[in-house]
Amino acid sequence: MLAVKADGRIVLMDNSTETIAHSMDAQIMEPLYQYAWLIPVLPLATAMVIGLGLISFNQVTNQLRRANAIFVIAGLAAAMAYSLAILWSQYHGHAPYLQTFEWASAGTFHLTMGFTIDHLSALMLTIVTTVALLVMIYTDGYMAHDPGYVRFYAYLSLFSSSMLGLVVSINLVQIYVFWELVGMCSYLLVGFWFDRKSAADAAQKAFVTNRVGDFGLLLGILGLFWATGSFDFQTIGDRLQQLVSSGALSSGVAILLAILVFLGPVAKSAQFPLHVWLPDAMEGPTPISALIHAATMVAAGVFLIARMFPVFSGMPEVMNVIAWTGAFTAFLGASIAITQNDIKKGLAYSTISQLGYMVMAMGVGAYSAGLFHLMTHAYFKAMLFLGSGSVIHGMEGVVGHDPVLAQDMRLMGGLRKYMPLTSLTFLVGCLAISGIPPFAGFWSKDEILGSVFASNPAMWMVGWLTAGITAFYMFRMYFSTFEGSFRGHQTDVRQQLKAAAGEPELAMAFGPGAMDPKELDQDHHHSDSPHESPLTMTLPLLILAVPSLLIGLVGTPFNNYFEAFIHPAGDAIAEVAEVAHEFDWTEFLVMGGSSIGIALIGITLASLMYLQRKLDPGAIAAKIKPLYEFSLHKWYIDDLYNTVFVQGCRRLARQVLEVDYNVVDGVVNLTGFVTMISGEGLKYFESGRVQFYALIVFLAVLGFVIISA
Amino acid sequence: MSNFPWLTTIIFLPLLASAAIPFIPDPDGKGRPIRWYALVVGLIDFTLMVYAFCTQYDFGNPGLQLVESYNWIPQIGLKWSVGADGISMPLILMTGFITTLATLAAWPVTFKSRLFYFLILAMYGGQIAVFAAQDMLVFFLVWELELIPVYLLLAIWGGYKRQYAATKFILYTALSSLFILVAGLAMAFYGDTVTFDMRELGLKDYSLGFEMLVYAGLLISYGVKLPIVPLHTWLPDAHGEATAPVHMLLAGILLKMGGYALIRMNVEMLPAAHAKFAPALVILGVVNIIYAALTSYAQRNLKRKIAYSSISHMGFVLIGISTFTDLGISGAVLQMVSHGLIGASLFFLVGATYDRTHTLVLEEMGGVAQKMPKIFAMFTACSLASLALPGMSGFVAELMVFVGFATSDAYSLPFRIIVVILAAIGVILTPIYLLSMLREIFYGPENKELTSHEALVDAEPREIFIIACLLIPIIGIGLYPKILTQIYDATTVKLTSRIRESVPTLVQRDHPNPVANLPFQAATVDQAPRLGQS
Repeated sequence: MLAVKADGRIVLMDNSTETIAHSMDAQIMEPLYQYAWLIPVLPLATAMVIGLGLISFNQVTNQLRRANAIFVIAGLAAAMAYSLAILWSQYHGHAPYLQTFEWASAGTFHLTMGFTIDHLSALMLTIVTTVALLVMIYTDGYMAHDPGYVRFYAYLSLFSSSMLGLVVSINLVQIYVFWELVGMCSYLLVGFWFDRKSAADAAQKAFVTNRVGDFGLLLGILGLFWATGSFDFQTIGDRLQQLVSSGALSSGVAILLAILVFLGPVAKSAQFPLHVWLPDAMEGPTPISALIHAATMVAAGVFLIARMFPVFSGMPEVMNVIAWTGAFTAFLGASIAITQNDIKKGLAYSTISQLGYMVMAMGVGAYSAGLFHLMTHAYFKAMLFLGSGSVIHGMEGVVGHDPVLAQDMRLMGGLRKYMPLTSLTFLVGCLAISGIPPFAGFWSKDEILGSVFASNPAMWMVGWLTAGITAFYMFRMYFSTFEGSFRGHQTDVRQQLKAAAGEPELAMAFGPGAMDPKELDQDHHHSDSPHESPLTMTLPLLILAVPSLLIGLVGTPFNNYFEAFIHPAGDAIAEVAEVAHEFDWTEFLVMGGSSIGIALIGITLASLMYLQRKLDPGAIAAKIKPLYEFSLHKWYIDDLYNTVFVQGCRRLARQVLEVDYNVVDGVVNLTGFVTMISGEGLKYFESGRVQFYALIVFLAVLGFVIISA
Repeated sequence: MSNFPWLTTIIFLPLLASAAIPFIPDPDGKGRPIRWYALVVGLIDFTLMVYAFCTQYDFGNPGLQLVESYNWIPQIGLKWSVGADGISMPLILMTGFITTLATLAAWPVTFKSRLFYFLILAMYGGQIAVFAAQDMLVFFLVWELELIPVYLLLAIWGGYKRQYAATKFILYTALSSLFILVAGLAMAFYGDTVTFDMRELGLKDYSLGFEMLVYAGLLISYGVKLPIVPLHTWLPDAHGEATAPVHMLLAGILLKMGGYALIRMNVEMLPAAHAKFAPALVILGVVNIIYAALTSYAQRNLKRKIAYSSISHMGFVLIGISTFTDLGISGAVLQMVSHGLIGASLFFLVGATYDRTHTLVLEEMGGVAQKMPKIFAMFTACSLASLALPGMSGFVAELMVFVGFATSDAYSLPFRIIVVILAAIGVILTPIYLLSMLREIFYGPENKELTSHEALVDAEPREIFIIACLLIPIIGIGLYPKILTQIYDATTVKLTSRIRESVPTLVQRDHPNPVANLPFQAATVDQAPRLGQS
């Protein structure tokens, strides 16, 4: 039993005390755990109530905007309070809790479902509920004028419920169920503004790309079940190892199965080569980008790797694939993010890159470092996205409700004057993601890089370089958005952007916060300068700034509460405690120093280019044009997929349909023709058709019996 | 009450009631009293069914129940013999449910309403009789009889190409059902005793060659109905021309007759031949899934698109019945029920959309969501159900078939791997065509051209009610599949053990270890999962 002393040292408690503490705990805590299913069910209930209201009393429900919002937020707040209570109880050493029921059965096959509360799920519950709650509060301001306000809350609540269900899942099938459900919510929310063609395309792309990953996940689950007869993570891990070591299963097959399962996280956590859906998913309203596509759902992939750790960790080949996928994705995302001009797209690629870090950490076996980064990233990236939403909201006052204009950083600049709170929180986020101490991102990223260095210096090199690029593009984003002078009125830039987007300047697309055609009419109420967002939007930003600043302190290498709490299932407690004591100042200073160093280089470069304008980014881009174009066109991966898969699939489908019409149906129509002719011929038999029919039947039966008797 | 002829009553009530339709007064000629009459009859019959199964049916008993047998024409040994077991019972219930809803869906039909409702009620009885019949001749008779209402419903109330579609339908099915008659008679006269009783036919000891021949004949006739590619081409035409209520019946019930008869006769009565044919069925199932998914994707006509999607989904039934595992066969039955509900709901919504847009060509639609958000929402929900989203019944059925096949010990490992991979490609293709369809109908800027000449009103309460009725069981089964599986589990388990007995290689491996083919010998079932971190 683990305990944390007042001075933060981790010690092993005496066994007898543990038993006593435990039984007392059990009496007090048991109801808390028995009803833990309420955490996912509460948001589900609110979503259902509102959904039913929307279907049956559409007008009334839509008019009760705030009432609905408060209802949803209250439901989630209750879930959050519950999650915090559970986290508290888990932190104080309550044993893991498991409740199951039989979900499906056929003959001797039984499949159980249920929920489990352990350290990992307690942590994830807390992250999801806190971020979701703040995003919901923020939504009130962001979507204030949208006619779909209530529907949006219903979807948000539905998503929260699915995500919470995912993190308490007890086996692979249950994970798969919620995995798909969060995917569905993502589909609904990306396509929320269904009158935008780009949103419709993006929603479909997100769902289908994820299905490609799920294809692998499903095959992996089936294969693992075939091999081990179980869907349970730990059992699969144990039995798989047993099978491989006894030679009953070749290790190649085991590796293949594990990699198939890993395809699921590849799609969900937007890892190369299935990362293409995430930037497009930015078509959804910004609160969604923060909640689903930055903080929670995309992290589900990392969560699944963590759950599958008993399986993966026994296979070094698989761990290598995972680690290199992560490392490559981290670099890929960062290399694309540096040339993006759409503020949300830039953040999306940064998310891809950061998820790459987490996956890389998992791959090198740095279980708690990966999850630590998941947690810190959830908070600071949610804040950055919400901040970008606030910027877009402010920009819309000037350029209109047009995502092409309102999200482009070439039209921003100098917003710090107009939006002080947004800019302050955004800066905190930038510092956190760039890895400047004491901000949260430093501690988690440093821990990852330290573990990676220990296992593979080449990979560390990739991660370290990426950290520099990260600092560069984040501050490029910060400087072009908030510093300098406001460029929102440069009509030439506007026209250029519109032309690039293929739309005439005055064609008004719908935008965040404005689906009311009356508002779209003209630029009447547009002001000359951007404005700070309302309190419901800035308050969540300010609240999120706190964990972005401080939460890293729970996982400092010299005092790692986080690792003591979250560590792989197999690891003995003593081992963790030992690691904590082994802390080496020199190593920390070298590793930390080098990552701070490269981050500072990145920031300096960004300030030279975008703040002081001593270096002209355009000139540099012209000098390395092929590289610039390569990054700008996202490594041409989307174009490649479009030609090969999308067009290919369409062509194949058309060809199959041709065959269906001309060959399969053609034969049938020909037979129809022949029958008709022979039917005409039969008319001339005076015996008539009925007798003939009977005769044929009789002869056939006779033939049958004689031949086979 | 236990001697009350429940099934006979349930079959004949709609048939007798339909005979009274010509005498119902219809003052304004719009058929209002008639549709109410039909609806009430449907409801009463459905209630009777539910009551009969709740009170008289024992879920734990795998055999036939509610059996009735009367001599009809003793000279030729024809007996009116009906009964229900776990495989037919859910399908009978679903028939009652969907036919009643189809009657409600037919509310706007005013053209020749007397004939229309007469045919609907006639079909009602005929369909149930198909699922309940326990005598080969009776089965053949009702199978044929039930075609006539469908033919007329297609030929009179269909679209532009209705004559072509109806003729194709009747030619296809009538020709193919000839095989049922031939095979049925051959089986009846085989050996020393002459009998038409299905149970006795199943107990006869046929030679393998004979079984194979009969099996092939039956496979053709049921393959047309299910349908199995390449015997499917009647279906897109028939579905493309049918009106919404007929459509619901076609997709919801008629296709299931093929699947039901395959299980009842090919699998249950001819297990030795089934063991030989099963690999072919699996391959046909995979072809169904992929081929129909691709054609559906390329199809530009909405009704035909959904029609092909039905074909694709039926592929899972074929794979499921060939798994030789409890799970796979259970999944096949579940898939039939599930697709009955989902298919009916999608076809109803297609009809509802067509009533408003008056076009089925996807290029002419687009951007109609603004005007009809409720239809959009329901269409999305049903499409998600169709693409096997967890939480809905289709997912459970497909998962059971997948797990059942992956762990089946009747096939070699490479075969299983290839089939599972190919079938799983269907998992990717299904959302592609369904979501593309949603995108093309609903998403995008408002379609000014369409709204200028069509009044796009949103769903009315009747339509919402119908979809809600279909979605509740879909979601209910999806959330807790045992609701449905436990009522037929006993029958499918018994069926599986019976067909496994006919496969010599499987018998030795059978019992006590149910998952003996797994490399991990000690594995039986998921025990309470252990958890890490303490």
